Amino acid sequence: MATVKKRFGATDGWVNMPDGTSHYIFGFVDITGVPENQIFQYRGKATLLAPLLEAYEGDEVYLTLTNLGLPSRPDLDDTHTIHWHGFPNQIPLWDGVPEASISVPVGRDFTYYYKPLDPGTYIHHCHFEPVEHIQMGMIGPVTVRPQLEKELGRKFAYNDENTAFDREALIFLTELDPKPHHLVANVQEFDWTEYSPEYWLINGRSYPDTVKPADDPSFPQQPFSALVEAYEGEKVLLRFVNIGFQQHCIQILGIPLKVVGLDAQQLRGYNGEDISCWRDAIYIAAGQTVDAIFTAPRAGIYPLYNRNHYKNTIAGTAFGGMVTEIRVLSKP
Amino acid sequence: MPVIDLWAKDGYLSTPDGNSIYFWGFSKSETGPAQLPGPYIIAKQEETITVNLYNKLSEPVSISFPGQPVVTVGGQPVQPQYSDGQLLSFVNHAEPGGMVSYTFTPSYPGTFIYESGTNPHKQVPMGLYGGLVVRPADYNPNVKEYKTAYGAGTNTEFDREYLLITGEIDPDMHQTVEEGKPYHVSKYLPRYWTLNGRCAPDTMLMDHVDYLPHQPYGSIVMGQPGEKILMRYIGAGIDNHPLHPHGTHTRVVAVDGRLLKNGNVDLSYKRFTVLVGAGQTYDQIYQWDGLGYTPQNPIPTTLPNLRNMGIGDAGWTMWSGSPYLGMKGDIPVGVVSYNEFGEYYFMLHSHEELQITNWGEFPGGMMTWVAIYPSLSHDVGVLK
Repeated sequence: MATVKKRFGATDGWVNMPDGTSHYIFGFVDITGVPENQIFQYRGKATLLAPLLEAYEGDEVYLTLTNLGLPSRPDLDDTHTIHWHGFPNQIPLWDGVPEASISVPVGRDFTYYYKPLDPGTYIHHCHFEPVEHIQMGMIGPVTVRPQLEKELGRKFAYNDENTAFDREALIFLTELDPKPHHLVANVQEFDWTEYSPEYWLINGRSYPDTVKPADDPSFPQQPFSALVEAYEGEKVLLRFVNIGFQQHCIQILGIPLKVVGLDAQQLRGYNGEDISCWRDAIYIAAGQTVDAIFTAPRAGIYPLYNRNHYKNTIAGTAFGGMVTEIRVLSKP
Repeated sequence: MPVIDLWAKDGYLSTPDGNSIYFWGFSKSETGPAQLPGPYIIAKQEETITVNLYNKLSEPVSISFPGQPVVTVGGQPVQPQYSDGQLLSFVNHAEPGGMVSYTFTPSYPGTFIYESGTNPHKQVPMGLYGGLVVRPADYNPNVKEYKTAYGAGTNTEFDREYLLITGEIDPDMHQTVEEGKPYHVSKYLPRYWTLNGRCAPDTMLMDHVDYLPHQPYGSIVMGQPGEKILMRYIGAGIDNHPLHPHGTHTRVVAVDGRLLKNGNVDLSYKRFTVLVGAGQTYDQIYQWDGLGYTPQNPIPTTLPNLRNMGIGDAGWTMWSGSPYLGMKGDIPVGVVSYNEFGEYYFMLHSHEELQITNWGEFPGGMMTWVAIYPSLSHDVGVLK
């Protein structure tokens, strides 16, 4: 088993939407290995999504959170935490709930320790005033890989050969209501019961930005593409995450999905019964994850979109939003 | 034959931000306070039960029992009621000042809701709802294999059990009803979200506290490591709510009072967030086993100087100051800790995070704790 050492900085930044607007965010930035005297160069460079945290089952993960402060809101000295959402048998010290253990003030560090034993798709997010810090962007993906991958040298979602795949992609769902982002940037209060998003995002971007490359220079703080590419006949694992405040329903036109896991648990009954199932739509609530596998059909472009069609828009008007593309290519 | 008497009355709910909200609820007695949710009804499979409803409100009221196929009034199955040709109630109702008597025999065990069937778009959000638990016919709380949710041999044994009933409050609606004005349901916009009728942090108080006379039920879930804690979720509001307990997954063993099993094939599944839909019930087993750390098997990280960390920013903390179960550490001076014996607290909350506010202010709303104690009386986590 390996030891994984990571360090995330908590800070702020700005993200771009396809209509040319920019929105203030809080978030995390990967500062693993950055010399101590250079970490403050990462202030203001939070990314949406936060960095992926990835480990194998049985690894020992030491994740240090450093609160770098909010350069655009120097008056706001909120503490932060990292909550590994769904970690089984967690103890409060590493659960990241400020009211139940420790949070991290500006300029300070805290190291979380995890030894994940259950493969699957999880979420990490800050749990300080979560309605604000989650909406502001302190959210990221967590993947735990099964030991079976190491034993067989191939890829699996769980410790079961029926969950084999060739490629994987993250479908990480959130919404963005520009009002609280604007008010927080301008030191104003927002009544969260008035939450009414106007942008619906996959991997921190709104279509057509979702299909642009990860390193597209237009999105320095949105480093996750949501374009899914595969060759005909390949198995593709989609890791669905919903960490918005709404329920979502995702379809891929022309591609059925085999749901093999929910909330980082393989779909198995009490005695190991196989209760995986086929779906044409993934209905997913806030705080849930779904692992689903499809076999890439004949070459072509297959749109992935939200069946709550009003969410496939940019600021309520133009077609876009919670949409991306599955591009299936002929075998080379 | 068990007979339950319920009085439909009005009263005022208290919210932690100081608001006082007019509501309608069921009371256990003619002189007692209306309560939210209504009194828990504990029934038994195959045992006929009668529920008498006395209506002290100024409009007709009824009770529907979703999930109970045959409910009778005066020996006849309940029927929709009309007024001037318009639907008024899904089932027989009691006129103001009157009463109606419902009789049914639960044919299968499980968790159910009871709620008003009269103008339900108004009366249910106003608070006329409650929880119904049906014990399996072979239930025996004194014998482990017979202390189950769904009967011996169904893998639903439990050590403790809790009802968690979700709801929402739109104060404008409640005020409009109080003033006798017409209410437009399309304007429904909740500002408060409740578990067992209370908003956090009141959810964390014990049952039957004097200063919440209309909200007798707390929703702290308490247990010990390794115990099977049965959580019975009921969706009593208009909206669906994704409830997420920290600490560990739950195994969903039944939905809508139906065991997740086809013959010998077990269909139960584990989740870390369960979407409790309006009118749905979910029965789940929560079992927290911990990670095995003790002072003799210490954590592999160093606890920082707690004076340098954020503790109790909300003005209080549930933390003990120690990483270890049953131990207490040095909480910084000036921080109030509600920790008793070094127990662990895990938040349980709606993950539509605006719902863990009271009118937009965190902390509040649909949030409570799962508390894991090093040892705990057997009297805790008993539904009465």
